[in-house]
Amino acid sequence: MSGILAQYGSLRDTQRAIERLRAAGYHDLEVFSPIPAPGLEEALGITSSPVRRWAVIGGITGFATAVALTALTALAYPLVTQGKPIVSLPAYFIIMFELTILFSGLFAFFGLLYHTRKPARRLAAEYREAFSVDRFGILVISPADGAVAEQLVRETGAVEVEVTE
Amino acid sequence: MATAAGTIALTAGKPIADMATPAQDIPNDYQTPLTLADANRDIIRPISAPSWRFWFMITICLLGILAAAYAWSQQVRKGMGVTGINNPVGWGVYIVTFVFWVGIAHSGTLISAVLYLFRSGWRTTINRTAEAMTIFAVLTAGLFPLIHLGRVWYFYYLIPYPSDRLLWPNFRSPLVWDMFAIGTYFTISLVFWYVGLIPDLASLRDKFTGFKRKIYGIFALGWQGTVRDWSHYRRLYLYLAGIATPLVLSVHSVVSWDFAMGIVPGWHSTIFAPYFVAGAIFSGIALVITLMIPLRWAFGLERYINKYHFDNMAKLLLLTSFIVGYAYVMEYFIAWYSADPIEQESFRWRATGFYALPFWIMVFCNVIVPQSLWFKRTRTSIAALFMVSVLVNIGMWYERFVIIVTSIAHEYDPASWGVYVPSATEITILIGSFAWFFFWFLLFTKALPVISIAEVKEHIAHHGDLT
Repeated sequence: MSGILAQYGSLRDTQRAIERLRAAGYHDLEVFSPIPAPGLEEALGITSSPVRRWAVIGGITGFATAVALTALTALAYPLVTQGKPIVSLPAYFIIMFELTILFSGLFAFFGLLYHTRKPARRLAAEYREAFSVDRFGILVISPADGAVAEQLVRETGAVEVEVTE
Repeated sequence: MATAAGTIALTAGKPIADMATPAQDIPNDYQTPLTLADANRDIIRPISAPSWRFWFMITICLLGILAAAYAWSQQVRKGMGVTGINNPVGWGVYIVTFVFWVGIAHSGTLISAVLYLFRSGWRTTINRTAEAMTIFAVLTAGLFPLIHLGRVWYFYYLIPYPSDRLLWPNFRSPLVWDMFAIGTYFTISLVFWYVGLIPDLASLRDKFTGFKRKIYGIFALGWQGTVRDWSHYRRLYLYLAGIATPLVLSVHSVVSWDFAMGIVPGWHSTIFAPYFVAGAIFSGIALVITLMIPLRWAFGLERYINKYHFDNMAKLLLLTSFIVGYAYVMEYFIAWYSADPIEQESFRWRATGFYALPFWIMVFCNVIVPQSLWFKRTRTSIAALFMVSVLVNIGMWYERFVIIVTSIAHEYDPASWGVYVPSATEITILIGSFAWFFFWFLLFTKALPVISIAEVKEHIAHHGDLT
């Protein structure tokens, strides 16, 4: 896809550039960052991640699995030991706790893979190796007016600007 | 190229440091603030062809592992008679060492998850190594129940699976809880560690060429650091930290219940869970210090892991030493307050009987030695800290020995009292477990970044430098 790829050397410049670009009507942006940056997410208008739903669903699944595993297996072979109830909830709660956490963590991890479309076989053509070192990148995708967008990224302190095919 | 980008001045000579004032508490001696490219370069640098010293240490570890493997093969061939375990002491060095390594495993997730939630900036440069330590410590600990089992091929009895006899594990048994707790802890710690590694693996992929690039590229999963991906990533990291925190507390609690659920004097106590958790964090932090000191020296990472970090770890060590010391005192108080002569005799014998030496080693190493950490001079002296941390590790091994062995050696009926002395087989396997742990740890230091690159860069971007 055609676009303008601007590289920035600081977080602050990148954030300001995103805000200016979005204010000027360029909403189709892909931003690369070497560090996790809540400020950039905010500038892009990303508020929450659906990964949290995966964590909750995983937790519920894990809890239910543990309830079934402990209670049903005890009922399948009902043997009273030490006068305790067949379904001894306090003891089984430990298994329920562990599986809640296990499934929640694994589901959230798979949620990350799903939403970020990983593992990906190849990197984006616009990806530059400096983006994993110290450069931030803003890709303005198919800008309506390429010259204006280019002017804008240069004004906001881009250290390198490329026009990509 | 990433290497070329490292030399480019950031934003026309304006350092990223101008975004925040650096903390002034502990001034550093360096003239220029760290840049993102510096961090990238310095942390990746140790991942290179190892020197002869590395191979020498690997060889020592392999010899240790071989010796332990031989000892274990003899145990499998001849039976448990080659150990010192017998009646009444059926739990010896193997269980002691199991609890020791599970305890070591605690600091990793404590540092990475709990301190993450508390926003403690000093965890940034130590969390990766501490997490790696967690993984390898659980790997080591996991061997011991199998070794202790004797007939290791019956291990699968613990796993819930639909057998043709319709028999299931007894979920009321603490040993089954333990398997679930440690299995979950290992899995979640591994996921947490791996998730933290993904952006760093991408940095490695971009740094290297050829085969290395391919391998790191596979594990980096095609990460390219888009902000959309980071938003999911940050959320996942937060959730993992959130669920790992109760997990840290639960694992050693469950391990402690292996003992506390038994009606053995010296074991059957409600303080066991917090007592064990505090002890685990105590020993884990001590091993982090023991490992970090040679590591930062060998890799020239003094700027990243500096006195500020050691000072904070030392404070945590002092705090947990107090909790452990309090537990020691409280155990005696409860024994006295219970008015139960058997409980009282158990504790009297613990400090004055056959195992008095291990008991006093434990008190000396875990309670008295850490008092030196009240002084800032000790906390910021690398040599002193190293000695304190080694002594704490020795003390914590003895703590588990004292709790486990003295209790069952001196139970209710005087006719069934007895003592236990570890055999050469057990000692060899104990030493082998250290070799096994260090083997994995050494491989880690040469294959993966020992400090989280992305987190250090994040810290630099916001605070200008590391202190």
